[in-house]
Amino acid sequence: MTLVADPPVVERNAASTVDAPRLSIRGRFIRTSFFSVRVDPRAFGVCAVLAGLIAVFGCWAISVGDFPIPIGEVVGTLLGNPTEDSEFIIGTLRLPRVLVGIGVGAAFGMSGAIFQALVRNPLGSPDLIGFNSGAALGAVVMIVYVGGTSTQIALGAIGGGFVAAIVVFLLAWKRGVKAYRLVLVGIGCGFAIDAAIDYLITRARITDVQRAAVWMTGSLNGRSWDQVRLVGLTLLILGPLAILMQRSLDRLELGDDCAAALGLGVSRSKLALVVIGVALAALGVAAAGPIVFVAFVAGPIARRLVHSPGACIVPAAFVGALVVVVADLAARRVIAPTELPVGIMTAIIGAPYLLWLLMRQARTGAL
Amino acid sequence: MSRNPRIEPIADSPNTMTHPNGSDSSRLRADNVRLAYDDRTIIDSLSLSIPDGKVTVIVGPNACGKSTLLRALARLLRPTAGHVILDGEQIHRLPTKEVARRLGLLPQTPIAPEGILVVDLVARGRTPHQKLFQQWSESDERAVHAALDATSSMDLADRPVDELSGGQRQRVWIAMTLAQETDLLLLDEPTTFLDIAHQIDVLDLCEELNREQQRTVVLVLHDLNLACRYADHIVAMRDGVIVAAGPPAEVITVANVRDVFGLDCVVIDDPVSHTPLVVPIGSRHSAPHLVPLPPTPARGTHTADV
Repeated sequence: MTLVADPPVVERNAASTVDAPRLSIRGRFIRTSFFSVRVDPRAFGVCAVLAGLIAVFGCWAISVGDFPIPIGEVVGTLLGNPTEDSEFIIGTLRLPRVLVGIGVGAAFGMSGAIFQALVRNPLGSPDLIGFNSGAALGAVVMIVYVGGTSTQIALGAIGGGFVAAIVVFLLAWKRGVKAYRLVLVGIGCGFAIDAAIDYLITRARITDVQRAAVWMTGSLNGRSWDQVRLVGLTLLILGPLAILMQRSLDRLELGDDCAAALGLGVSRSKLALVVIGVALAALGVAAAGPIVFVAFVAGPIARRLVHSPGACIVPAAFVGALVVVVADLAARRVIAPTELPVGIMTAIIGAPYLLWLLMRQARTGAL
Repeated sequence: MSRNPRIEPIADSPNTMTHPNGSDSSRLRADNVRLAYDDRTIIDSLSLSIPDGKVTVIVGPNACGKSTLLRALARLLRPTAGHVILDGEQIHRLPTKEVARRLGLLPQTPIAPEGILVVDLVARGRTPHQKLFQQWSESDERAVHAALDATSSMDLADRPVDELSGGQRQRVWIAMTLAQETDLLLLDEPTTFLDIAHQIDVLDLCEELNREQQRTVVLVLHDLNLACRYADHIVAMRDGVIVAAGPPAEVITVANVRDVFGLDCVVIDDPVSHTPLVVPIGSRHSAPHLVPLPPTPARGTHTADV
């Protein structure tokens, strides 16, 4: 009974629950007098389940390999009770690999969800419209001409990603950017950039070529704590920003005019979202190479799981992480002991979906 | 629940606003604006006052600049010269969120995200009243409730917008704009793609919002006869210029219709609303053999009573 101070509020509460049927607005509300936040229990549930699956597959991925480690020992080591063998194999070889996979998947997933919502078309994901290729080109330039420490690769990837994004947007610009123009121009630019990468690799020294080639296929092999720190930092900075922009993104989906009429700074929000999305994709590429189709499939899967009409940036991050971890596990195991690059496995999932989507959009006239 | 506590009556003196561009006390007006996309000028030096508490309808042929004007009035398009004034301030000096709390605009083709429910869409109208940690307050809930109520779409609340008919969908979009709780409502061709019954439905709703809640309503319409019925004030545009503005009976004349649309017509009295009714002549019926104005029933022999 500490709430005696404000009886009218209590009265109005009572009244509104009596004469009005409750509105079934999506989500639950945490509401106090000066603070109200909306949470979506379904999205929470989906993320929790995905997190569980990521943990399971992650442990599995750590346990299998040339020196199998029993799951119990894996869990023990992760919880801080390492045995002598497991400490080196897990701590130095396998854990960073899994963590980079999770981080990169999350970054790609968020980036994809952002761009697909901005373009209002699932084909607008950064790996299809050339941004990832741009980042890869930037990174390869660094490897071939500068030397390629991980910082240099990261900077190169970011630079390349942004240059590609700017070029694609400028070429697609014709009184605003239409989705299909952006997609087509982006795919074209992607091919041109890939050709440029091939050219660079042909001209480069053989040692550089090997390093670049391993990195190019989108492989998680030989990832170290360097890359873990890179993606970790990326997610720590850009993740919260992306989550903050979710509301603007939801409004932008109503159309530019509608969003502006609702009081949104349309150009500013779009610019912020594009910058965040390109940076996420580019840093993901810097850490693990241009793994294709992760950004492309994560957003739509997340939407379907959450049943959400809007972009689900956070669930897409979890889906992306799970896709990469599972794909990497499969890549290591299908023709063991030989390892496939993880990009091949993600392509096996992504390519049929792309074909299906193209057929459907060609039929409905969306493209 | 349809009464809206936030909206106080503005139109205190009903007969001051009859003159077209007469009063500068209007909350919303355009002052010698030039509007252009890139370097294509659509409107050059146009001035217009939206009478408070009235229904204003903008008519004109396709591509005459109606929607462009509406976008400028709602701050979506920045004039390259002149100003749009809202409550005595240049609208571009006001923050976009502040504008959105005073003025609601429903664009011509808003996009409903796939699978969104009606209630969630209407709730998006609350955006300008929300903050990062103020996402869903009691007043948000009340406003959405009132908006659904006013548009009689409460029973649609839980349905996906994709499944609605065109008329229902339009009501829902209007509900979203109403949830913004603005005294000024700008609707760009709210009746396009609707059949005649739903057109009337939407326009009745607009009239209700004006009469019962004293909201100032601005509509862009194509149908001149409906425009005459529902407008207190008509603005007729051609090629980015206002040809005539005023009460329907003064604006919709044979001469003005020819001037604005290049259409020969006869204007008679609408037997239901007693507003002007435009009857186009067209090429097949070149000779109008009835006395056009004044609107007395000259063809009394033709009446159907037996």
